[in-house]
Amino acid sequence: MELEDKEEARFIARLASRDERAFNELVVLYQERVFRILLRMLGRRDEAEDMAQEVFVQVFKAVGTFRGDSKLSTWIYRIAVNLCKNRVKYLKRRRSEAQDEYEAMAERSPMTSGGGVTSGDVARPDHLVEGMQLERVVQSCIMELEPDFREVLVLRDVEDLSYEELCEVTGLPDGTVKSRLHRARAMLKQAVERRMGDQAK
Amino acid sequence: MSEVPEDSEELAAELRTALKGGGAGPAPPDVLAGFQRKLRERSGGKFYEDGWSTSRHPPKSTYLITSLMMLAVLGLIYALLAPLSGEPVPVENMPQPVQIISPRPQ
Repeated sequence: MELEDKEEARFIARLASRDERAFNELVVLYQERVFRILLRMLGRRDEAEDMAQEVFVQVFKAVGTFRGDSKLSTWIYRIAVNLCKNRVKYLKRRRSEAQDEYEAMAERSPMTSGGGVTSGDVARPDHLVEGMQLERVVQSCIMELEPDFREVLVLRDVEDLSYEELCEVTGLPDGTVKSRLHRARAMLKQAVERRMGDQAK
Repeated sequence: MSEVPEDSEELAAELRTALKGGGAGPAPPDVLAGFQRKLRERSGGKFYEDGWSTSRHPPKSTYLITSLMMLAVLGLIYALLAPLSGEPVPVENMPQPVQIISPRPQ
């Protein structure tokens, strides 16, 4: 859900005056998308959750400097991506052992939430499992990409941002974004095919 | 390169489908509570204050207000109950005054 321009301006004014209720609304409004971006970028749920909280803390600190040159959502995604890239570098330095979040099928919402999907609702449980396996492979291959490629791929293909928004978030020119995206997709396809081929063997 | 090839867009569509997996995607956590906690701690209780977890000194004003309120409540109770108590009930079986009988002269 996006805010209208006038509504957004009023909302930003409330944020700038450090209105706690406005920040509550902001977090509720953007937490899901921010979390998804971070989860796809970091590949770890615990890291993504912590980083999502950090994103909103940074928004709180810096909202006074937001000039409204871009949409509020784009600005928030930029903060998320920058924090995420720093985190990836830090984790790489620490050689953190990747915890494969996608093995934890029990944590999947349809399985865990009381109001979620029950076995009766799933037409083909084998399709569900196949889908999860494919998702796991794809996510694992996304994690193999360099952060710069991963960033454009996640924002465009997972979060469906427009090219214009993509340029604003990454700070890259249009041509660079498109070529980087094309290369990221090609690398991902290659990695997935290789992995799926290995599994078939 | 100014345009992304069409087959690349098809690949993107396949990617989106794949990442949806078998279900609705990963359940998002409750970010709000963690955000409020972090901000409360880092601002020393200035924001999202809960009145106790971040207070560094005993709240003196709270003690004073509590004392004054207790005094006010006691005063109110006294004011309400005092008229009901009425005059002290006289005790009827008061002991007779002692008569001192002087001894008869012999």
